Amino acid sequence: MSTWKGKTRGGAFGYLFFIYLIRYLGINTAYTFLSLIILYFIPFAPKATANIWFYARHILNYSRTRAIRMLLCNYYRLGQILIDKVAIGSGLVDKYHFQFEHYPEFLNVLNSDQGVIMIGAHVGNWEIGAPFFDEYGKKINIVMYDAEHQKIKKMLEESSATKDYKVIPVNEDNLTHVFQITEALQKKEYVCFQGDRYLNKEKLLTCSFLGKQASFPIGPFLLASRMNVPVVFYFAMREKKRTYRFHFVLAEKVIRSKEKKAEQALLEQYVNALEEIVKQYPEQWFNYYSFWKAPKNNKQAEKQSSN
Amino acid sequence: MTNEEIIEKIRTTLAEEFEVDIELIQPEALLMQTLELDSLDLVDMVVLVEQNFGFNITGQDFTEIKTFQDFYDLVIVRMKEKEAK
Repeated sequence: MSTWKGKTRGGAFGYLFFIYLIRYLGINTAYTFLSLIILYFIPFAPKATANIWFYARHILNYSRTRAIRMLLCNYYRLGQILIDKVAIGSGLVDKYHFQFEHYPEFLNVLNSDQGVIMIGAHVGNWEIGAPFFDEYGKKINIVMYDAEHQKIKKMLEESSATKDYKVIPVNEDNLTHVFQITEALQKKEYVCFQGDRYLNKEKLLTCSFLGKQASFPIGPFLLASRMNVPVVFYFAMREKKRTYRFHFVLAEKVIRSKEKKAEQALLEQYVNALEEIVKQYPEQWFNYYSFWKAPKNNKQAEKQSSN
Repeated sequence: MTNEEIIEKIRTTLAEEFEVDIELIQPEALLMQTLELDSLDLVDMVVLVEQNFGFNITGQDFTEIKTFQDFYDLVIVRMKEKEAK
């Protein structure tokens, strides 16, 4: 079966093309051009198309007509979000509007003189928030798979753009990332994970998500449940009229019990928060692989689900 | 706490947390292999050291630890430093 391979689709050329398009012809021209590109993606990205079709038909239970609309909307939103990321990174931040949910509570957590773990997902545009953290941005560490990190680094070098956060690259052959994460938290910095994708099929948790069993990486939830720091679920969602709405959900403290492991209890809170977001913004689900199929050889997940 | 008491505490804590036979925890034995540590277990190791011995173990510390004796030495030195403060 196909799982996420640690790389995000799209080459450096595509990003650079849009950078120049936005700079010289404007954001709206880029959106118009995008409408043509999504027609290319439907037949030429068959696995992604099949997985979004499955999501629309069997998870959201949409009719065929509605599923076709969802497919078009999903690709369009993804492209729009990439364009927005480039535009904001190029200094066009004043062309956008930003709304915040539970922002004072979130700031209280950031100001609480301790490390914070933030867990997001591949929905909306998590990266768009970095410039708004201002001085907090210097304390943000994004944990990402090494292959993804190398690609972003190359893109930033080629476009002369800068990033407002630090990256902790995860490499399965090297355990230094564990210490980089724990040291960042000990320095009272913020560590951000994506809680929905995994590479290692042996280290998973399972949970019912939108009515069907799905697998999630154990790492972010295990770390967050052990490190005794506040945990925030964070999503930045695209709305109409170039508006982004930031959602912050403060996780309740989890305790290890005989019935349920702390990481599983935290995952369930995360899944509840993510379900709310996906129901509100169904077209902004950007996991283009078989998310709901249980992988083979998943001993860890079987062990967890039997607990 | 004497060095012997610290070593005994380390052995019992590690055996309990990582569910290994305490007799396998010998000074010359390799720590990572004996405890079968992976990246997720390292998180538990960091938390365990902080909670039981009151200091934060770093990546630099860990690169120098091969055997249980290396680990005992690190904990003893850090605990003595803490007492001296």
